Amino acid sequence: MGMILKIALRNIGRHKRRTILSAITIAAGLAVFIMMDSMLTGVDRMSIDNMITLTTGALKIQTVAYDKEKNTYPLNDSINGSLSALQAALNRDRRVAHVTRRTQFLGQLSNYSETVPVVGTVVDDVADTLVFGLKPYLSGAYFGPDNSREILIGKQLALDLGVGVGDNITLYALTKYDSRNADQFRIAGLLNTADPTINHSGVFITYAAANDFLDLENAVSELDVSMERNSNLTIFSRDVKAIQASLQPQFPLLKVNTFLELGAGVLAITHAKRISGIIFMAIILVIAVVGIFNTVFMSVYERIREIGVLRAHGMKPADISVMFVLEGMITGILGSVLGLVFGSLVNMYLVTSGIPMEKIAGKIATASYGISGNVYGEWNLEVMAVAFCLGIIVATVAGIIPARRASKIQVTQALRFN
Amino acid sequence: MAILDLNNIRKEYLKGDKKVEALRGVTVAIEKGEFLSIVGPSGSGKSTLLNIVGCLDTPSSGSVLYNGRQLGGLTERQLSDYRRDNIAFIFQSYNLIPVLTVQENVELPLVIERKFSKSEMAGKAMAVIESVGLSGMADRLPRELSGGQEQRVAIARALVKDPLVVLADEPTANLDSKTAEDIISIMQRMNTERSTTFVFSTHDKRMEQHAKRIITLKDGAIEKDEKR
Repeated sequence: MGMILKIALRNIGRHKRRTILSAITIAAGLAVFIMMDSMLTGVDRMSIDNMITLTTGALKIQTVAYDKEKNTYPLNDSINGSLSALQAALNRDRRVAHVTRRTQFLGQLSNYSETVPVVGTVVDDVADTLVFGLKPYLSGAYFGPDNSREILIGKQLALDLGVGVGDNITLYALTKYDSRNADQFRIAGLLNTADPTINHSGVFITYAAANDFLDLENAVSELDVSMERNSNLTIFSRDVKAIQASLQPQFPLLKVNTFLELGAGVLAITHAKRISGIIFMAIILVIAVVGIFNTVFMSVYERIREIGVLRAHGMKPADISVMFVLEGMITGILGSVLGLVFGSLVNMYLVTSGIPMEKIAGKIATASYGISGNVYGEWNLEVMAVAFCLGIIVATVAGIIPARRASKIQVTQALRFN
Repeated sequence: MAILDLNNIRKEYLKGDKKVEALRGVTVAIEKGEFLSIVGPSGSGKSTLLNIVGCLDTPSSGSVLYNGRQLGGLTERQLSDYRRDNIAFIFQSYNLIPVLTVQENVELPLVIERKFSKSEMAGKAMAVIESVGLSGMADRLPRELSGGQEQRVAIARALVKDPLVVLADEPTANLDSKTAEDIISIMQRMNTERSTTFVFSTHDKRMEQHAKRIITLKDGAIEKDEKR
């Protein structure tokens, strides 16, 4: 084995240019795969995080009746009857971080000359900031202590209506008792989030304002729950589902939805991205296979006489085969190490500095994926280890066919070969 | 008893659709310690005969006996073992492994044999390198040697495992007169000192002069078999 390895290693060194080219093919593939996986994971993380922190929370609890009619945002199907028992149950679970109440309604916003349909959300101005993360996207101010006439609206909505922070605007809506009402609100802040629905048609008022404006009487249509965010989505999802499974039987009149059901669309896009990542990796592997296959075949072709000499001296066909497989494998190791180092270096930049995806792809394109600002890569050591091993395995396997061909060459033909 | 016994060896090839008879019923017995030259014009069957003697090729019919043992019907693996244990080769174009040093090239048959320790292999290799006059060149690569030096390494490689038979196909064909004389004398010395059997094919009249037995082939058959 020592001599076989020695010959394999020295032949790799002898054809430096060819070896380097093959190794670079593998290295480039591996590095691109690591970078791509890192960015896809980063985009997934950001879009799921944004979905949870802006819209769904980890869990959303509504009445069964409200869940069925949720597209009409009814104000009469409140969870108030179960509210204290529900809050007590949630408080008992250590995995639950914070809970807030929300009530949604349909309305219209007018600047006196134009009227735009909006989806309103009544929020608990203190608890809401603990569950949802609207504040980082806010220009202007959040609700002040006297917030009964304050409103937050989407930035695009403000642009459409030609209004800004500090301006007064009229909100129309049906009250809980189905009577029409209109009132003037002062715009406290503008929201420019990664969720296009909020930007284009979202308005937020507090319960203090809604009790007066909508005759709401503190009716709560949903309870939203946040949990400590585990860095591993699978573990986080498992915990969220566990809470859902424990709550649902206790409250048969309520519907407990997790972000997994509420954000099925975003998660479907995430899944599609994963599949495209796998296809991309498969293409890279095919290129690497062809590269190594070609390198080992060239090596066999150039050394046919040498194979003849070794066979004439009694070297067994299997040993000849091992020698060429080793060449493929060593090239694979070289390429995989290079790819891992290069991929890690670039990934370090992606993780620390990120890519200004919004600037590159445009706001509309990124908003459709639920992302905004810089997208940061993520370290995924499992994927890196799998890619590294796969690089070596593929290079080894790619060397097997030419190696077998080498071992089957007739000795007399090999010795005559010029 | 002859160490190699070839009986009525025939070898046929297909060249396109045409059947070519390379050997037509060759019968020859080779004794231990012979210095035997196979001569004849190109296409007379010299190389084919050497290949069959060396188990690099199999006859279409006829039998090859080595020390009384029938070699026909051996598997590829058994033939590899037979070559490894009994036969050494010297080629016209030296065929050294270019990435191995002189010493590593000479050690190669011992490595394949897997019988000796590293130090034993080194000792045997250095001794035979010295005997072919290449002391001080053990660490050189083949590309750093002249043609004559390369052929000396090839002879050292052939002799290092102390084989019973050395088969040489045109060993002096690529060498100048002086170097060819040197190579012939080394082979002769090994033949005398170690009783190694040498069977070589050649066109080279100088080699023929030193042979103790000359078999002349013509059209795949033995035309003449003379001992001196």
